[in-house]
Amino acid sequence: MFRATQPSKRSEDHHPVRGDSNGAHLRLVDADIYTDWESVYKDNVERLYRLMYAKVGNRPDAEDLTSEVFRTAFGPLRLASSKGEVRAYLLVTARTVLASHWRQRLGLAVTSIDPTSDLAYLVEPSTTGQPSDAPQRAATVLAALPDRFRRILELRFLEACSIKEAALAMDVSVSNAKVLQHRALQMAAKVAQDLAQ
Amino acid sequence: MTARKLAAFIDALVSGRRPERFSATPEDVDVLRMAITLRAERPGDATPDDEFVSGLYEELKAQASSRAEPGFQPVTITGSGARPTRMSRGRFAIAAVAAGLVLVAGTTSATEAFNHARTAPVAVPAAHGVGLLTGTFESADHRVVGQIVAYPSHPSWVYMNVDVANYNGRVVCMLQSDNGSTVAAGTFELHGGVGEFSRAIRGDVDQLRGARLVTPTGSVLGSATFA
Repeated sequence: MFRATQPSKRSEDHHPVRGDSNGAHLRLVDADIYTDWESVYKDNVERLYRLMYAKVGNRPDAEDLTSEVFRTAFGPLRLASSKGEVRAYLLVTARTVLASHWRQRLGLAVTSIDPTSDLAYLVEPSTTGQPSDAPQRAATVLAALPDRFRRILELRFLEACSIKEAALAMDVSVSNAKVLQHRALQMAAKVAQDLAQ
Repeated sequence: MTARKLAAFIDALVSGRRPERFSATPEDVDVLRMAITLRAERPGDATPDDEFVSGLYEELKAQASSRAEPGFQPVTITGSGARPTRMSRGRFAIAAVAAGLVLVAGTTSATEAFNHARTAPVAVPAAHGVGLLTGTFESADHRVVGQIVAYPSHPSWVYMNVDVANYNGRVVCMLQSDNGSTVAAGTFELHGGVGEFSRAIRGDVDQLRGARLVTPTGSVLGSATFA
């Protein structure tokens, strides 16, 4: 059965603390606090949007989910918390919001937010682009595909071609282009899984 | 049918539109995840529009003013731009509690913390986000049927919401610890497949591994593993 509760790691009175032993969390600094909700918003809106965009792949949903995180988070938010604490709080809220999004949209969780690895989205400078190895991983995946599979995915996802335009560029029928795209995505997913192992 | 809807979802992603909802199969998930990964690589949409940023700012500013009014019940939400959205009470509840438990602690029960968090929260030293455990209940066929949040404190709390199809009646929430033992956290009712439950619990939440939702006949509606 459960043991008596251990004191949780926390920043009592906002003294500097480190995260847990896995070292995945911010070092919190006394002076590094938000003083009003506007500063929380301005400092994190772009970061949260980029995180959500990476998880859903389209602007309308990324905007709605970002909005939902702030609406949800700002109710209970108490200021005079450190930036690290506020960002951890935003990330937990974002995780729940994203899970609900997939639950309602598809019934299955296609992507999720990992409190450890995805914290980088909120702590990296907002001008550095996507703070993950996703671009490199995507390039590696594409490079591992047969030419025709790679080409259909490049045309569709990177060059924004319609399925008709992609079919024309590859000199195949629209039906063939659809089949090619599906098989290419399946193989790319398999390659990505292999790379992750 | 599913293949056509999957293709339509991907078409929407490629063209930057909001994809339509459909019931995805586990086989679709890897394809969809890869499509999202590739789409997110295209330059242009990965930074927010200035109009969105300023519009949301104004909305939150108005929300901050509204919170000061008695009886504020932020269940109906207006979406950004011309796309109004409505957040369900359950969805709002789990998100609000998950968030609220991090920075706001109630003094008597998690339910009261939810009910009053926006009008009379009790400010306490903020816990680091690492203390919060969250999990997603999935059915045997890997469908998402709910979420659970556990928070270590004095006392500790669990909160969950459930949405399963075609079930009415009692459900027992069984908490599983790292050493393999299980304990019933409590029983609650699902109406039309939907229900919520919160309770203070004794013991070390950090030792929890997951939870199961079990019917009185022993059927498992869903299982969750804490992250």
